[in-house]
Amino acid sequence: MSNPAATIEEAVVRKNIRVKAPVQRAFSVFVEQMESWWPPEHHIGAQPFQTIFVEPRVGGRWYERDAQGTECEWGTILAWAPPHQVTFSWHLGPDWKFNPDLAKASEVEIRFTEEGPATTFIELTHSKLERHGEGYEQLKAMFESPAAWENTLTSFAAVFADKAE
Amino acid sequence: MDAYLQSGLGALGDATRMAIFQKLANGPLAVNELAGTMTVSRPAVSQHLKILKDAGLVSDSKSGTRRIYQLNPEGIALLRAHFDQVWEKALSRLQAVAEVPETPPKGKHVKPSSNNRRSRRP
Repeated sequence: MSNPAATIEEAVVRKNIRVKAPVQRAFSVFVEQMESWWPPEHHIGAQPFQTIFVEPRVGGRWYERDAQGTECEWGTILAWAPPHQVTFSWHLGPDWKFNPDLAKASEVEIRFTEEGPATTFIELTHSKLERHGEGYEQLKAMFESPAAWENTLTSFAAVFADKAE
Repeated sequence: MDAYLQSGLGALGDATRMAIFQKLANGPLAVNELAGTMTVSRPAVSQHLKILKDAGLVSDSKSGTRRIYQLNPEGIALLRAHFDQVWEKALSRLQAVAEVPETPPKGKHVKPSSNNRRSRRP
């Protein structure tokens, strides 16, 4: 290892997807209509969320609200550059419990690149995952329970079955 | 060692923890053995080890009266697998919604005006 810095990677998840929509539209759906696409089983309040809010500014709140008006924090806006980038702090461990400690929060950066008038390339980087150590035991238990992921994947498949022609 | 780094275990935010992590990459060590090679105190090493253990990055076992620490290759892999699945699902759903031509907001999205209401198309 002559140059460790060059080979060391963060504990990070990178995802990308190409969307057939203008960049403005893709960004808008992401931050303004999050409840329309966020997997509904991943809520942190006692009740399912009705709306997910992204306050459009650095330092803004990212939170969910249920039908009774109860709000639960998700994180904070760390970078705001519409329609090309938004970065959140992610305070939810694998146990989906909110931890207000910024030192225990990971970061989610989403970049939106205009590839054409109706094509947007979205790149998501969820980094500093090692900070969520406290949820590790619950996560392990979850992965060892086959039913846990099976259920969410089944409901996921149902969404696309509905859309299939 | 390279396999660990490539799996994402490398970048720990704290320089001391990174140093501990790299020492453990060479093989299991007891706290005393670790502390003897470092400039920080033994209690500090113990505290860092606890954080690494809580993060699932290292595991420990007892050997007589000593506690031996080693890297846990599964820890960060589990975290990554978890978030990978969450985002895979979330982005696919985002794509499905974004690709539908714009329509007026559904009833459930209409909220009464309030001070903390965010901007939204009318």
